[in-house]
Amino acid sequence: MTRLVALIILAGLAPVSAQDIYDLLLRGGHVLDPKNKRNEQLDIAIVGERVKKIGRGIAAAHARRVVDVSGLYVTPGLIDIHTHFDAQGAPLSLNPDHNALRNGVTTAVDAGSSGWKNFEQFKTRVIDHSKTRILAFLNIVGAGMFGSEVEDDIDEMDPEAAARVVRKYPEAIVGIKTAHFQPATWEAVDRAVKAAGLSKTIVMVDFHPKPGRGYRELVLQHMRPGDIHTHFYGRLTPQLDEQKKVQDYMWEARKRGVLFDVGHGSGSLWFRIAVPAIKQGFLPDTISTDIHKDSIMLPRATMTNVMSKFLAMGLTLEQVIERSTAGPARAIRRPELGSLEEGGVADLAVLEIRKGEFAFLDSGHGKLTTDRELRCVLTVRNGEVVWDSEGLSLTDWKHAGPYSNFK
Amino acid sequence: MRLFALLAFILIEGAAQTKYDLLLKRGHVIDPANGIDTVRDVAIAGGKIARVAAEIPAGEARKVIDADGLYVTPGLIDLHAHVYGYSGSLFPDDTALIAGTTTVVDAGGAGWRSFDDMYERIIKPSRTRVLSLINIVGHGMIGQKYEDDVGDMEPEKTAAKIREHRQHIVGIKVAHFGGQGWVAIDRAISAGKLSNVPVMIDDKIFTNTGRTTREKLLDKMRPGDMHTHMYNDRQLEVINRFSGNLEPYMMEARKRGVLFDLGHGGGSFLWPVAKKAMEQGFPPDTISTDLHSSSIMIPESDMPNCISKLMNLGMTLQDGILRSTVNPAKAIRRFPELGTLGEGQVADIAVLRLRTGVFAFKDAWQKKLLGTKKLENVMTIRAGKLVYDVEGRGFPEWTTAGDYEVIP
Repeated sequence: MTRLVALIILAGLAPVSAQDIYDLLLRGGHVLDPKNKRNEQLDIAIVGERVKKIGRGIAAAHARRVVDVSGLYVTPGLIDIHTHFDAQGAPLSLNPDHNALRNGVTTAVDAGSSGWKNFEQFKTRVIDHSKTRILAFLNIVGAGMFGSEVEDDIDEMDPEAAARVVRKYPEAIVGIKTAHFQPATWEAVDRAVKAAGLSKTIVMVDFHPKPGRGYRELVLQHMRPGDIHTHFYGRLTPQLDEQKKVQDYMWEARKRGVLFDVGHGSGSLWFRIAVPAIKQGFLPDTISTDIHKDSIMLPRATMTNVMSKFLAMGLTLEQVIERSTAGPARAIRRPELGSLEEGGVADLAVLEIRKGEFAFLDSGHGKLTTDRELRCVLTVRNGEVVWDSEGLSLTDWKHAGPYSNFK
Repeated sequence: MRLFALLAFILIEGAAQTKYDLLLKRGHVIDPANGIDTVRDVAIAGGKIARVAAEIPAGEARKVIDADGLYVTPGLIDLHAHVYGYSGSLFPDDTALIAGTTTVVDAGGAGWRSFDDMYERIIKPSRTRVLSLINIVGHGMIGQKYEDDVGDMEPEKTAAKIREHRQHIVGIKVAHFGGQGWVAIDRAISAGKLSNVPVMIDDKIFTNTGRTTREKLLDKMRPGDMHTHMYNDRQLEVINRFSGNLEPYMMEARKRGVLFDLGHGGGSFLWPVAKKAMEQGFPPDTISTDLHSSSIMIPESDMPNCISKLMNLGMTLQDGILRSTVNPAKAIRRFPELGTLGEGQVADIAVLRLRTGVFAFKDAWQKKLLGTKKLENVMTIRAGKLVYDVEGRGFPEWTTAGDYEVIP
């Protein structure tokens, strides 16, 4: 009798949250969430645009849509911090959604395609219409990436004006970009750093060393802790000595807090540089694509392909995911991104490791043959399934009921 | 004398070595125009198909690619794509070229007022061959308000623009007209007559338009004109909704020479419609994607997927290739200059893999059909140049390549 009473009382006290109805339940996947040290089989329940619950054995009966993702990895939506998606403006830019979301990228950071003069156009024409979350490094060059004539013109580089635009759009702009500057002076880097200082943000630097403008000075003196050197496995960067040993100043710069980003692109991932650097333990802080009209073709610089290249070069899957989620979120100072949190925005990638024989090209089209390939089979952005290559979340047409007015 | 012979030998050898730029070895060639459906070597020189034969020595080419186990076909031709003007339009190289599509026909993005801009911004800089079905609306496909404006449908001006750009404009598009009656279609056909090109029609047939599909197909359209979105539901043009039977006027129109184009897109490839039509012997004359920012996502309406979807409804691979190469080339009157691997023709080539397994194919309304065959593009050659190579077949291992620059 007492037991029965206790049972009744307990039932009455059951928390309301136990009655949650989920919109979407990803069931049976192996969750890899480096920031929260999750590396095990867990279910993820989503309500609206948010993750509601992460746990074991969440009841399928409580979800409107259940997706069996067993045998697959579930990760935070990938973050690519070096992209070119000003598709209505800069000549090399691509359209974001199919290039990002189909590869598990839910947050793409445009790396300076637009500058302080034309960022607003980029925002109204592209950012505001994209399903992908698009953030930006604002080019210190007012006109953005519109060719060497403007990109070499220091009169285009106005730190005050750039900082004003950053402060006006703090939601979208994460820092300042400097790139492609050919004259052998420090003007571009220093003005970008100044603009970042004024706006309390960071700089992403694309840098060509010149006589009198050395790489060592860049990473040890001109860049600040938290600033990002992108393209660091590139041929123009003296990251290795003649014996292919990682230069001391690379380690020193890393200790100072300078971050090193892949930025694959057409010219910045060479196996003969990256492989020895990785063997010596000099891994990238962030894995990114520098995806644009050229790099997407032969070297195939899509996010999952670039990640596959790093798997093939010896990084563990955990290291690759960390450098594509929590790492970049930390780098761009958006701690709310890059991890899976109950109550957090439901941006997720479901990834498959395919086994077989695969080969990937570097920027010089040398190939690396390997036995694993990472691919994205399903992407959730803001709680919505936006990509589903295997139809895991979809109904078979024979069970789909009437097709509108077609019988 | 011996020295001379040696020199001559070296010269001949040298010449032999540079005879071809690129050689695809041991691929299964499907070239419907030339009746080839077997393993063949394909040699390329100067951007053109130089030779197709059972055995071409590897030593005669600067670069040799092993295509064993793969299908080698003419570059696919997408008769209905969107690369300009339309709000969902995509760039062609990262959407078509990677899928083995070497020629896209933009279906009405530009009108006579905007074609020059399309030429500068899309046609000229793209590696993909971009052709245009020019919109009868002068402003092009930039929204309903414009597309309903009969005043901007000018056959003379449209025909004049076509005559000016014969090389790039292959026909006329009329689409999305929401008004009453036949005026939009009549003007498009009138422009087609003035410039002697075909018209592609995407027409909303609803009860309140005063138009019927039957009349459109049998009285309005000319032989060679193209009816796109043939497997749509909104218009119920193919299958009678009560009997489930193919409408007799479809066959009659086909007999007249009206062409039926797939135009998959976001609303025009639906399993119940396509399956019933295929079962009753009504495949598309031309397979096309209507690829845009929505249809490229979950429905994945790129060319190899469209062919795969039809294969899983009973079409053979060979027939799928015919309807993606020869047929569209003929529809736009560019055959045999496009759509074949004939010797002397431009070397636009797709190298495809037919995978077996269990795959999900998704229709325009995101309903899936599980199938066992899937065609995927592995490599694309455009005008003799290797532009896409997802398996790195055309390139050396980095460990043996030395201190390489960018390997061509």
